[in-house]
Amino acid sequence: MWIFRRKISEGFFSLSDKKYSAIWSVEKIHLGFVVKGYIKGKPEKLEILRIDAPRKALAGGWQSWSPFKVIDTKNHSFKIRDWKYKDTPALSENHLSDYLVASNGIVIGFLSSRFAHPYFEIDGDQIVAYLDYFDSNFENEIPIEPLIVLNEGDTPLLLELYARMIAKDNSVKLEKKKPIGWSSWYQYFSDLEWSDVLTNLEKAKDFPIEIFQIDDSYEADIGDWLDTRAGFPSVSDMAEVIKRKGFKPGIWVAPFSVSETSKLFKEHPDWVVKENGKPKIAYKNWGKNIYALDLSNEEVLNWLNDLFSNLRKMGYRFFKIDFLFSGAIPGERKRSESPIISYRRGMKAIRKATKDAFILGCGAPLIPSTGFVDGMRVSEDTAPYWEAKDEGISAKYALRNDITRYFFHKRLWHNDPDCLILRKDSNISKEQREIYAITSGTLDNMIFLSDDLRKLSESEKDLLEKTISLSGGKPRVENIMDTSMRYEITSRGSNSGNIHLVVDLKESKYKLNFDNHSKIDRRVMVKDNGRNFYFYGEVF
Amino acid sequence: MQELRFNPLTGEWVIVSTATQKRPVRPSSVECPICPGGLEFQDISEYDIAVFENRYPSLLKNPPEVESRGIFKKERAFGVCEVVVYTKDHDSSIPKMPLYQIKKLVSVWKDRTRDLFELSFVEYVFIFENRGKEVGASLSHPHGQIYAFPFIPKRIELKIEAMRKWYEERKKCPICEVISSEPGERTVYENESFIAIVPFYARFPYEVHIYPKRHISTILELSEKEESDLADSIKTIVMKYDKLFDQEFPYMMMLFQAPPKEDVDHFFHFHIEFNPPKRDKDKLKWMASVETGTWTFINPVAPEEAAQKLREVKI
Ligand SMILES: [Zn+2]
Ligand SMILES: [Zn+2]
Repeated sequence: MWIFRRKISEGFFSLSDKKYSAIWSVEKIHLGFVVKGYIKGKPEKLEILRIDAPRKALAGGWQSWSPFKVIDTKNHSFKIRDWKYKDTPALSENHLSDYLVASNGIVIGFLSSRFAHPYFEIDGDQIVAYLDYFDSNFENEIPIEPLIVLNEGDTPLLLELYARMIAKDNSVKLEKKKPIGWSSWYQYFSDLEWSDVLTNLEKAKDFPIEIFQIDDSYEADIGDWLDTRAGFPSVSDMAEVIKRKGFKPGIWVAPFSVSETSKLFKEHPDWVVKENGKPKIAYKNWGKNIYALDLSNEEVLNWLNDLFSNLRKMGYRFFKIDFLFSGAIPGERKRSESPIISYRRGMKAIRKATKDAFILGCGAPLIPSTGFVDGMRVSEDTAPYWEAKDEGISAKYALRNDITRYFFHKRLWHNDPDCLILRKDSNISKEQREIYAITSGTLDNMIFLSDDLRKLSESEKDLLEKTISLSGGKPRVENIMDTSMRYEITSRGSNSGNIHLVVDLKESKYKLNFDNHSKIDRRVMVKDNGRNFYFYGEVF
Repeated sequence: MQELRFNPLTGEWVIVSTATQKRPVRPSSVECPICPGGLEFQDISEYDIAVFENRYPSLLKNPPEVESRGIFKKERAFGVCEVVVYTKDHDSSIPKMPLYQIKKLVSVWKDRTRDLFELSFVEYVFIFENRGKEVGASLSHPHGQIYAFPFIPKRIELKIEAMRKWYEERKKCPICEVISSEPGERTVYENESFIAIVPFYARFPYEVHIYPKRHISTILELSEKEESDLADSIKTIVMKYDKLFDQEFPYMMMLFQAPPKEDVDHFFHFHIEFNPPKRDKDKLKWMASVETGTWTFINPVAPEEAAQKLREVKI
């Protein structure tokens, strides 16, 4: 193993290059060691660590939608799904993984992404860890994103410890409990009509739903979030109607994205990230070219602040913020700084403006988002069908990622396994619907429904109840390095006691076991000065 | 005044809490405040097990703002202090309580732990019972308490560090090793799921520890069978104490669980400590200068001897 091209040893080190200078230390920590230090100058692509590559590695991309799975390091090529990943920072032919890579008994990972993008490449028989600082030039010393190597234990334990260390390094404090909600997306997609909202609002009181969230559909254009499309009331009235029905209003926004046809782009063509002086296409979707907001621009940050402050004032308390990766694409910005620094400015503005509201990140660069979101999608979208070729969008591969990225949950944020699709008329079998729900529950993940609620009968309500009753424990994927897609998941101390779940994604089969656990009746009373009183056992 | 103050000499937090006994309270015809009809349960004629938030808590869910000045570091006194009333029967006590009632108490502890673990400001949940006036219990009605702290208290931190170090050196949990290495001479009682010993390292005469045989780190992981076995272990130990000394033997009973927002489960083994303040029927073992000032304990009774006496008590 080599650190900064020196054979590894504990201690303090320094180096001076033409373009940059760095000091760093290698220190022993619990079950491994950490590399920390400072750097100044223009480091560009900086090699931090080099290690002989194991044959099998758990690896994956930088954002919510990227696959995360065990690969063969000698023979792998990540299928880069068209536009969505094209602009992954520093993506090269040899690109192996972003942020972390793990194998049997070892986890190597970066604890932060504040200035640079951390990633891994394959170089012959070796894995090399890099930090990409892009074109940033630092006049003053900045901290190097710390790198840990944990190599004294089983992989699941080491992954959990790694996630906890990221949380500590980024001062993550999980302030909010995970809410149960409803989202319009997986039943209505972009064809949602206001009448569908009203219909589901009527039915929602029969379910343990707290958040009622309108997804992509209502907006006049990407970027014009306060204008609604024909047939929808104003954004403010939407919140009012949901509130009146007794739910917390939730809304979908792609805050760093601007379509070429939007009012926002027409009014502020200079607010977007550019390439050779012209607006750079971040991605294409909704049949349009989509640009990325330049988050290094103070005016843009003020606009974001106003947008989210307004939405919050209208009563929205749940924000699904999507396509976040666009805020971090490389390109020309007002301030010449790394896209990671800009991205974090944008996230900080939204976090500040939304105050106590719940933020669910989606399509988001993972590590740079820590501390700014309450929940995080850790997979591609689910779908009302199980299987897709080339690991495309499907329930099966969404669930795979929810399993393989389980260790982030409740350390960095609440993992969002995407919505449960419970209705019978989807192309998912009963067994598969149960697998999705029961696994999400066992993993203690967020629970959102996305069905026309009129279609759900008692049996689906029972499955939802069961899913909720399985949550509350400490989950672990015991055989995370397995390549058969047959996962053994345990959860200790859940609401249903200790759980042992074997879920086979290939065969669509599962086996759920738990200990006998006690249940006790409880009645809560709030008395003088707001003191809680709990009466247990026989209720008199 | 209600705040946390930092002691830079030891790195510990001190809770300053002066807000007691200020508000007038409605008098009650029932003398004991936690009996049905007493001060805390004025409109309640009966209950089974009840938990309530302390009337004068030293930690608050919504504590006043504080301002540190210069080197004098303060923090807001976030937390929860609860009283757990084991039974409505004033004259009962753990030895007199039926086993199912103690098992129910374990379930209540689990429920409280789960709730308090979820609070964003809670870093440690400490369940305990002070029994007897020797350890400051002012009410004889059987009850315990729970403190949910906004920090990991110093002794817990020390336990975690020691257990972590042991694990790093031996790749095993120290309590698992103590259980498998105990020759039996310090064993007081044992059932299928738990073992009660006067540990090799007992600080107090007649100190007893209860360890689950399975490596678990919080009571949330107890199965129903383990809840029964824990109830049985607790009841047996207290009965032995009372019989050996022919009195309601005073003790501090303390549950040590892993903190909710750390990953220490691989080396932290849940355990209960009984620390009785007496060295004999009517001799107190004081926490005096050496114990308090240096945290060095001089134990006048060999643990093996204490264990033998307790083991031989027939109940
Ligand atoms: Zn009483
Ligand atoms: Zn153990």
